[in-house]
Amino acid sequence: MSRRALVVGSGPGGSVAAMVLARGGWDVTVFEKGPNYFTDLSSDLPGTVFSNDELKMNRSFSLPDPDAEPRVFRASPQSTPITGAVEALPQTVGGGAVHWDAKTPRFWDIDFKKLSMLGPVRGAEITDWPFDYGEIAPYYEQIEELIGVAGDIGQFPAEPTLAHAPRAHGLPMPAGPPEYSSLVVSEGCRRVGLHPFLAPMAINSRPYQGRPRCNNCGFCSGYGCPILARVGALAPLREALRSGAELRANSMVVKVNTAGHKATGLSWVDEHNVRHNESADLVVLAANSIETSRLALLSQLPDPYDLTGRRVMFHWFSEGSGIFLAERLHNYRGRDHTHDIDDFADPDFPGARQAAKEAGLPYFRAGKVELGGTQLPLDEASSYQEVLRLLAPQKPFGRDFKQLMRASLLRDRLCGVELIGEDLPYAANRVDLDPKVRDWRGLPVARITYGPGPSELAAQAFYMPWLVKLLKAAGADVAISIAEIPSTRFPIAQDQVPATEHVMGGMPMGADARTAVTDEQGRHHQLDNLFVADGSVFPTSGGHNPTLTIMATALRQATHWVGSA
Amino acid sequence: MTVVPRRRVLRAAGLAGLAVLIPPELLAACSTPASGGKGPSFLVLGEHQAKVVEEATARLIPGPTDDPLEAGHPGAREANVTRYIDTMLGALKLSPPKIFAGGPFSNRAGSRVDDMASFLRLTPAQVSGWSSRLATFADQYRRGVKALDKMAGGDFTAVSTDKMDEILAQDPDGFMTLLFSHAIEGMYCAPEYGGNANLVGWHDIAWVGDRQPLGFTDAQVTLSDGPDVYVPKGIGKQLLGLLTTSPV
Repeated sequence: MSRRALVVGSGPGGSVAAMVLARGGWDVTVFEKGPNYFTDLSSDLPGTVFSNDELKMNRSFSLPDPDAEPRVFRASPQSTPITGAVEALPQTVGGGAVHWDAKTPRFWDIDFKKLSMLGPVRGAEITDWPFDYGEIAPYYEQIEELIGVAGDIGQFPAEPTLAHAPRAHGLPMPAGPPEYSSLVVSEGCRRVGLHPFLAPMAINSRPYQGRPRCNNCGFCSGYGCPILARVGALAPLREALRSGAELRANSMVVKVNTAGHKATGLSWVDEHNVRHNESADLVVLAANSIETSRLALLSQLPDPYDLTGRRVMFHWFSEGSGIFLAERLHNYRGRDHTHDIDDFADPDFPGARQAAKEAGLPYFRAGKVELGGTQLPLDEASSYQEVLRLLAPQKPFGRDFKQLMRASLLRDRLCGVELIGEDLPYAANRVDLDPKVRDWRGLPVARITYGPGPSELAAQAFYMPWLVKLLKAAGADVAISIAEIPSTRFPIAQDQVPATEHVMGGMPMGADARTAVTDEQGRHHQLDNLFVADGSVFPTSGGHNPTLTIMATALRQATHWVGSA
Repeated sequence: MTVVPRRRVLRAAGLAGLAVLIPPELLAACSTPASGGKGPSFLVLGEHQAKVVEEATARLIPGPTDDPLEAGHPGAREANVTRYIDTMLGALKLSPPKIFAGGPFSNRAGSRVDDMASFLRLTPAQVSGWSSRLATFADQYRRGVKALDKMAGGDFTAVSTDKMDEILAQDPDGFMTLLFSHAIEGMYCAPEYGGNANLVGWHDIAWVGDRQPLGFTDAQVTLSDGPDVYVPKGIGKQLLGLLTTSPV
């Protein structure tokens, strides 16, 4: 009889783990808390009910319902808690790889060996990963092949991109069509000495493994792909199902059961809140950083050094907005954006070392910048609703509103740029269980306490003016830069709670059980057969979109488990 | 709303297994208009409440009959925003609930079948969230309409449009803000949700709407559409000025 493995979460990490285990002869069941919006996931081309529907997305179709399954956010233990959608990632089959626009950069050599290569920063818990870039690179290649990454490595900048993330081989598909707005902003970047390039992305530029090429519909970031030209986690999930794995949607794991140093199985509740128990020889947690930490805390997993849920990292985003009066940029067509710059992820970017020194820091980094993107009409209209309160308080509606909608300064004439800022790991940034707020099932929700340190704020102060500079150089008539969420240094911000959808940390990897929750293979230090396969295991956050690295890490880890078990 | 036989929806989209998401009540729900033809027939709003919502949202997003300078530019009244709001408030009275339109395609961009007209079954978690949300909204509408009437001396719909504007600008209990948010949804949502009638909301702002399975050509993505100069004036000029003086 084959041994039984239970996987919690059907997103990028869980699906990869399920694939490797199922192929390795394990009897695998994948539990997904959310619904399944696909049919026949083992087929070449599953059906889906995702669509080009802004209202549906705004109503949290693929996300946890913010009333039924809220989270609590505090900027610090002293701050007033805010209850609602906090870092909400899709809660459906496919997880975080359902909503994404599938940008798939690799992390850099300095991300995996941050302590060795860049050194410590006071107040932060910087450690090396248990493997280096050279070791993870072949796993990156396998994942790029599996999910179908398009791009031309010949166009990647030698410095800093290829110098820090060298490529032995090209990507499985050529790049898709560049977006006009991304080209416009790229030209601005070049004028101020930056190095824009066509970003790698897991979106089909030609038919790939039974799925069609992208037809540029434009409802990309935040939307499930209606034609499955972009699948992410569904690719390994398909392989898992074809190798005999079972998928259970609408099934929430509420407890990891343990005995001594073993996980004995899971307790889970079905759609109707009926509780079931399942025994297992091996358990994998991959519910995403926040929910995996929550499940570990709900299960009261052994935690002798009070580490579980600490050192969460979300990326400290800053946003730039350029408004172009001479033409409409039709930013709503295509793959959200098509170009990036990596310059600001480089600790040696001109001036950065000096600015760090002046801030009393050994160094700082921000991260990549995504060039392009805008908002759709419902979000645009909400922006004007807010703006009119300032501009026309005596009558913040009516003809003014409609004129703004037709001029479309904040949609069709807008080009956004998004700076991903590396978060350092801090023990105080953590997930724990809220003492009061419960979800609709009656379980304590995750409470997130999260704020920037001196490094994040110094990097933000240094790079935010650059966002304005590159947009102006691209010809923007008006350009501004604003923080994603407020801090003491930048109190004016776009939102009040983090919504970067890059969630990492909480169960970090490391050899030492006193400083890491999981070991070098993602195995829980206190439980021999409990593994973690999502972004929870990241010891540091890098300055790039994390999903490809989540999948490559899960592939490395699960390959070890199958080999050693 | 187009009534599509269930089997055809499924076959056309290659979604045979999605039957689990589309319960048998679907046809009944599709063939029962939320507010049919002539005369008021609302799920939640009373006759007077509906009139107040109609007049108030027409002040927030005015059409040609509400603001002479909006000639040629339909507003909330023309988009049938009141029907959208009532459909939302009563969404759980329908089966399946009119919360999430189906997919992957409407019949507006290359598909003959409108999958979006077939609404999706909710999970118990979604039912829980929407039950409490819609109950709160219904209460806010009850109290909001009362507040508008009271400030108008008894009947909001009986006062001048200037007076209506003055009352709405005071945003009693945040009701104008809530109403405006919902009017925006009703104006620019996919028409399956009951608003944006005849796509007037999308047409007024030159918005293409949903684009599958047609998509855009690579040239439409990569090339400029050509010059289209916006000369700052009025409120647009003020907005640019505000952004120019923003920090950073």
